[in-house]
Amino acid sequence: MTKAPAVSKVRTPLLIAMAVFLIVVMPALNAAGFIEDFTLNIWGKYLCYAIMAVSIDLLWGYTGLLCLGQALFFTLGGYMMGMHLMLMIGKLGSYNSDLPDFLVFLGHTKLPAIWQPFYSFPFAMLMVFLVPGILALIFGFLAFRSRIKGVYFSILTQALTYAAALLFFRNELLMGGNNGFTDFRTLLGANLREAPTQRILYIVSAILLVAVVAGCKWLTSTRFGLIQRAIRDSENRVLFSGYATANFKLFIFVLCAMIAAAAGALYVPQVGIINPGEMTTERSLEAVVWVALGGRGTLVGPVLGAVSVNALKSWATRAYPDMWLLILGGSFVLVVMFMPKGIIGIPAQVRALIAKMKNRGANSRQPVTTKQDAEVTEP
Amino acid sequence: MPHGIGSAYSQPTMSCGSLIRKVLMVACIGAFAFASQKAAAQEETVRSKIAAAIVMPDEEGRIAVVLDLKKTPSPEIVGWLDKWKEGLIFIYEAEDGSIVPVLMGEPIEGTRKIAIRKLSDDTPVVDGTGNQVGVTKFELDLADTSSSLRKAMREVSDLAALADPDVEKRIKAIENSSVGQRQDKLPGLLELQKIETNSKATKALEQAIAIINLRSDDKAKRLAAAEFLGNRGSLPAFDLLKTIALESKKSGDKEMEKAALLAVSRIELHISRINAAGTLFRGVSSGSVLLVVAIGLAITFGLMGIINMAHGEFIAVGAYTTYVVQNVFASGLRLSPFGQSFEIPGLGLTGTGMSLYFVVALPLSFLVAALVGLLLERSVIQFLYRRPLESLLATWGVSLVMQQLFRLTFGPNNVQVSSPLWLSGNWTVNDVVFGWNRLFVIGFAVLIIVATWLVLNKTSLGLLIRSVMQNRNMAACMGVRTERVNMLTFSFGCGLAGLAGAFLSQISNVGPSLGQNYIVDAFMTVVVGGVGNILGTVISALGIGMADQSLQQYLGNPVIGKILVLIGIILFLQWRPQGLFVTRSRSLD
Repeated sequence: MTKAPAVSKVRTPLLIAMAVFLIVVMPALNAAGFIEDFTLNIWGKYLCYAIMAVSIDLLWGYTGLLCLGQALFFTLGGYMMGMHLMLMIGKLGSYNSDLPDFLVFLGHTKLPAIWQPFYSFPFAMLMVFLVPGILALIFGFLAFRSRIKGVYFSILTQALTYAAALLFFRNELLMGGNNGFTDFRTLLGANLREAPTQRILYIVSAILLVAVVAGCKWLTSTRFGLIQRAIRDSENRVLFSGYATANFKLFIFVLCAMIAAAAGALYVPQVGIINPGEMTTERSLEAVVWVALGGRGTLVGPVLGAVSVNALKSWATRAYPDMWLLILGGSFVLVVMFMPKGIIGIPAQVRALIAKMKNRGANSRQPVTTKQDAEVTEP
Repeated sequence: MPHGIGSAYSQPTMSCGSLIRKVLMVACIGAFAFASQKAAAQEETVRSKIAAAIVMPDEEGRIAVVLDLKKTPSPEIVGWLDKWKEGLIFIYEAEDGSIVPVLMGEPIEGTRKIAIRKLSDDTPVVDGTGNQVGVTKFELDLADTSSSLRKAMREVSDLAALADPDVEKRIKAIENSSVGQRQDKLPGLLELQKIETNSKATKALEQAIAIINLRSDDKAKRLAAAEFLGNRGSLPAFDLLKTIALESKKSGDKEMEKAALLAVSRIELHISRINAAGTLFRGVSSGSVLLVVAIGLAITFGLMGIINMAHGEFIAVGAYTTYVVQNVFASGLRLSPFGQSFEIPGLGLTGTGMSLYFVVALPLSFLVAALVGLLLERSVIQFLYRRPLESLLATWGVSLVMQQLFRLTFGPNNVQVSSPLWLSGNWTVNDVVFGWNRLFVIGFAVLIIVATWLVLNKTSLGLLIRSVMQNRNMAACMGVRTERVNMLTFSFGCGLAGLAGAFLSQISNVGPSLGQNYIVDAFMTVVVGGVGNILGTVISALGIGMADQSLQQYLGNPVIGKILVLIGIILFLQWRPQGLFVTRSRSLD
């Protein structure tokens, strides 16, 4: 723990440079024509994933709660944004109706009441945070109150995600069934299919990512963050010291759900589709992989992990479609076993290894001296 | 409640009936030689009679001869009348001008003609010089049928079907004869009732007669029939009784309406009981599936604390082993993992040899999965015993790799595993249908649980496993080689998953993502049951299965039912966070 601030001090200029690169340089290069629109769009997607990864890191790396439902919150946020975008299509859909296409297809003639307020963008934004937040609040309250922790928490969040995915696959929910939402046109009057709109969405994602990382950095450096890490390391001692650990965990859990939801809401207009396939536990686990690979408990590691794994995925699923899962699964096993600190931890690991080698070299000479010492001290 | 008494007593009668059937069957086999001779003689007369009918010059004559067949009902009549109807009987005009009904025979060698055989006695038709007569396909006329003739034929066929020696077919015919409540069918049924010895058929007869009597001209008979059908809880009469109640209401026949309504309410009670029993049975069987799937996890997760996310893939290993064994028993199998194709030769067995493949596949699937488990334990798991969350992540990576390996080896689609014939039938007791495959599921679950219990409680390995799980350090101090015990326990749990796979291959599809469909349910089962307790797993599996099926039955929607069960589990853990059975310990964390 004492080492962490020292390391981050060294890295701070590097981090600022990275932030500037993501927020300013990339879009500028794109506007100047050096980076293709497609590439920037893909990067926008990666950054949304990175925000979700940071939320997982805050939960798992700093509080010790491995949540397998983060994809659920991400997707819920996406769905809330999607509902607004669906209504913004207006009469441009294939049925030329005010209703979203799938509702017309299901035989509805009137917009269901829950859809009505989503015409308002501020309301949709509010819902992006409220719906996942309230779900997390209820679930977290129930789970933490009965002191469900460790793997049990993981398994329960997995079940929650599974149940929600089953629900969203149904047409009765009026959320588009397994096709979900797609064919979006405009957001706040801007055409989503034009490069400038996508560039702005990218910039918003980059800003949000930097803000989330900075905010989490600040949060974890406060007294609150200290308790948070104490809960991770030994919850019972914190409990015995008189802290209501359940409340701390609940706060972090809801906060992370909202962060993931915001990422989801930015993800949808950039990718142009949202469906229950994003909601599965496999998705959550994949996001956990990014965090583990990048290095948990570092906040920057997950960003690196999310971007690099997804970039690797984009490349490998095209170049070696059969091998991708083997690469992902295999690298995951290796990282968990041999690189507990992930990519970020590699330099430290290498340094430790070198130090060990040196020590061994030193050790080969040392026994002689100790023997002499022993001989000297014995008489 | 007279009905309740009736159903309570009907079970012994049923088993008594099945005993009689068995005795009859034995007797039948003994008398087979004799019977076949007799049948041959009978068939000849049937054929000559039908031939006689066909050569009749006019319609009335044909109908009269056909109706005459009623006097000697035998099952062969149905087949021959059908042939006539379907136009498989032809008319051949002989050289002397006589008309002969014939059947098409074998093609004559060397010519393009087909030999014909007489319908009456199955002898070849010969011309004046004794040579076989050959015809081309379009030379002959069909033996025609008119609609009134077909009606007569149907009447005769129905009656003849009632005389079928095969009990199942006879019962089918009896049930069919009550459709439409035609009074003219009654005499035949009453006749059959006098000689019928099979208890199942007798019951069907009573029911069919009562159903026809519902439309009788005699009111006393109608009332009696309604009461009888109500007491019997007769399902086929349900809709008819409802109609009759409505009709009687219209015509003002209070007495009949009351009787019909009473009968309807009794049948409704019977139906709700059948549904309850069916739900219970399905609940137990789906609970058994859960149990079989979760029992391996109860060992690796419950006893060892390893979160094996690849558990589902071990199930798939077992299922694919069964698939390979099946193909080795049959005609072999070609696999092409990583673009390299190789062939596993097959034994080419059929019949009994083939149907035994499952017996071989069961232990093999256990062994293969256990071996793969051993490999995984040595290579990955052994480093993660103190880090359960990390074991979850690493095994998830393993599960991805394994799924992809299945895809590359066996293809991305589901593979065909045929289930033995003995799994496809069902067993009906008092209108409740028990499918053999579901009974097999339950039996298999019981077997696995008993075996696991025996291993854990009656073998020295089990003793070691329990000691290490209770207190690893103490066990190590006593000289138990805990590493080796871990290894064996993990591979035992994986082997059980493999068994579950062999078992699932019989009741569901085998594909690369087979395991994924069960993993969440399996974890839920173990968590609810209480970690480290086999009995808890049994109870929670049955409970979850039961809740699932009843909600499905009640809501008519499997997905909402499943979601409610998951929510129920989350709430249940509020009440008992440690599951049903808590393993008490003084340690904190």
